[in-house]
Amino acid sequence: MPDGALSGLKVLEYGDFIAASYATKLLADLGAEVIKIEKPGIGDSARRQGPFPGDIPHPEKSGLFLFLNTSKQSLTLDPAKPAGRDIFLELVKGADIVTENHPPGFLPSIGLGYQDLEKVNPGIILVSITPFGYDTPHAHYKSYALITSAASGLAWRMGEPGRPPLALPLAAAHYQGGIHAAASAMAALMARGHTGEGQHVWISEVEVMGNILGGDGQEAYFFDGTERSRDGIHNLAFYPWEVAECKDGAFCIMTMIQRQWDRFAELTGIEELKDNPMLANMYGASQYAYEIDELWHPWLKEQTKAELWDMFRREGVAFQPVLTIEEVVKADHLRERGFWVEVEHPVAGTFTYPGAPYKLSRTPWEVATPAPTLGQHNEEILCGRLGFSQPDLVALYRGQII
Amino acid sequence: MSPLPLRGLRVIDHGVVWTGPLLGRVLGDHGAEVIWVRPPGRLVGITLSGTPTPFTDPANPRSYQPYGRSKLCVTIDLHNPKGKGLYKELVNVSDIVVENFAPRTMPGLGLGYDVLKEVNPCLIMISAPAAGSTPGPWRDLMTYGPSLSALFGLKSHLGYPGERVLDDTADLDPTACMHGFFALMAALYERGRSGLGQWIDMSQGEACLQRNAESVMEYTMNGRGWGTLGNRYPGMAPHNIYRCRGDDEWVAIAIKTEEEWAAFCRAIGNPPWTSDPAFADAQQRAKNLDELDRLVESWTMKHTKEEVQETLQEAGVAAHAVLSAAGVFRDENYTALRTNVKVEVDAIGPEMVFVGFPWKYQKTPLSIRSHQGPPDRDNDYVFGEILGLSQAERNQLREENII
Repeated sequence: MPDGALSGLKVLEYGDFIAASYATKLLADLGAEVIKIEKPGIGDSARRQGPFPGDIPHPEKSGLFLFLNTSKQSLTLDPAKPAGRDIFLELVKGADIVTENHPPGFLPSIGLGYQDLEKVNPGIILVSITPFGYDTPHAHYKSYALITSAASGLAWRMGEPGRPPLALPLAAAHYQGGIHAAASAMAALMARGHTGEGQHVWISEVEVMGNILGGDGQEAYFFDGTERSRDGIHNLAFYPWEVAECKDGAFCIMTMIQRQWDRFAELTGIEELKDNPMLANMYGASQYAYEIDELWHPWLKEQTKAELWDMFRREGVAFQPVLTIEEVVKADHLRERGFWVEVEHPVAGTFTYPGAPYKLSRTPWEVATPAPTLGQHNEEILCGRLGFSQPDLVALYRGQII
Repeated sequence: MSPLPLRGLRVIDHGVVWTGPLLGRVLGDHGAEVIWVRPPGRLVGITLSGTPTPFTDPANPRSYQPYGRSKLCVTIDLHNPKGKGLYKELVNVSDIVVENFAPRTMPGLGLGYDVLKEVNPCLIMISAPAAGSTPGPWRDLMTYGPSLSALFGLKSHLGYPGERVLDDTADLDPTACMHGFFALMAALYERGRSGLGQWIDMSQGEACLQRNAESVMEYTMNGRGWGTLGNRYPGMAPHNIYRCRGDDEWVAIAIKTEEEWAAFCRAIGNPPWTSDPAFADAQQRAKNLDELDRLVESWTMKHTKEEVQETLQEAGVAAHAVLSAAGVFRDENYTALRTNVKVEVDAIGPEMVFVGFPWKYQKTPLSIRSHQGPPDRDNDYVFGEILGLSQAERNQLREENII
């Protein structure tokens, strides 16, 4: 197996839960060496999140933790204690990137701010993932993924009129933080090639959710002041753009191409859809969305997802079914793509994980090792690399440094 | 002026619809010289059919500006043999090709990676169609972001718990864009070591499936598939969006630890219901979610969303008003983030506002360096200055409608 694309890159992860973990997973699965610093004794809180096989909680069997921490090493360490800080700085000396998602100001408060890291390694790149910004009015705000989603403008766009807005499901904002952190860390690495220096880079989840994600929200508003709210199954930018129920599930009925809509209308056999003035123009049609729906929703409800998909593919109509997670995991296409990976973990056992987000032709993505057990690499790093002795380790452990 | 991170890199951008042009823009904003290549004679906009939207109406000089910024604009007819030759000359002096066409397109033009690699072994090419480039049942499906999220199971969780699936925002394209950007940087890093380029085969859907790790692992570990999830997250309660005083006013509240729960109870004045054993700890609260939500909302309804946000944040509890696009625009934190960049560009009339840069590089800050003009605006610069074609040669190509 050839070296990974990022072989030789050295990364420290000092954070908790999802954002920083996802960022460094992206680096680790491409071959970077990632040392994940975990709280002594208890470790990353993702270990307590699950899902757990058979619903039996165990810190080495959390599906979320196992997925997020492939190909990494685990070092338990408390950098807030002086001895821990010294160890952290020793590791910074040999590192390229430090990724963190603490509340802004925490690292400087324990003497590990960018200026402190820069002193021991002028090339170090510190990437901070914050909820609301590093030095902004709400930088101190407490936050979880739901909160930044709500603040981003995205939640406003989803749900039914008159009912609560819906944020993107689960912890989308944390994953966005992670990918933006990984991307900007690499860009800062490219910059270092020009400047010879590292730098501090920070992102906020609220901004990455609102901006880059805001094609339909922020940018539309800037463009012509359009304020869209939530429209239930529809997006009323044009027609058709909706999720409509069929007999055994739902279909995304969406196209920007008149021909496609016309072909669909023919397939339904519904007379009122032909030459209907409400449908003269796809942008104008959205004002009649509910009336037009009434013409063909009952027909769709009579068809199964499978029947519809077969028909659409045969007829070149590009509507896609709303697949369940089960259907996605079982989909032939993803299996043939080799998307899923089986990872064997010494405690949790073997499960199927989502695989490569991209395929590199010469230096492929690869899960090098399963997620580490808590403190699995303490000895290797502290003794093997930093020259501590075994008795040193005992003292560090007693002092809750590791 | 501090150097931009990707200074010195040259990118050929074939982006169509959203993912591709956005990736080109991100590269351009980071300092790469991005050459957006489109066919001569017609504007391929955000729609595949050419049906103009207000955003992409060729008659409107403000249209498509956000996707054309920080890029050079050229036209080449890639169907024409001379156009292909010209294109290969450009590939020869470029570092990256970005494309999100349907998988058969570039190979069909005789310009797939296997060909371009021979022209320039250092070239890094990213192909980013919906479902990847390798053969398979979904390879040739035409999708948009929202239909792709349907196909990859992401949409199935969007809806009130136990109710029907609703439309989600189109977040797949930008998410895929950032994964593509990251993959390109990784390939560049590797090229620094090996001197060689490579091909990045990215499926937009696969890139985005990562953000559903919790639900995928629940299925692969326990065989349980989650349906619509509302605003819920396993293990956190309260965790929802609640109505506030006023019309269509909402606040999000999320509580994870017992300390946060205790702080929340104190902040709302320790009403008797908070001492009910039904809410004593996270496990109990999870069993009584509907009742918990109803009771939390009985408090939030009495206050404005700003009051709830401030009161709870002061107590160390995660809460924030649900903002609309206009609300975001007015928000003081967003203003401090410099989320919006106001720009006056002669050619496009009154001041336009663009989304800014979410990545704050302390030493190498980004800026918008150019705006979109006509699709062939930079033909002379690119074909003349970069490729060294004479005026006469360029005129000839124009006459033949190759550029």
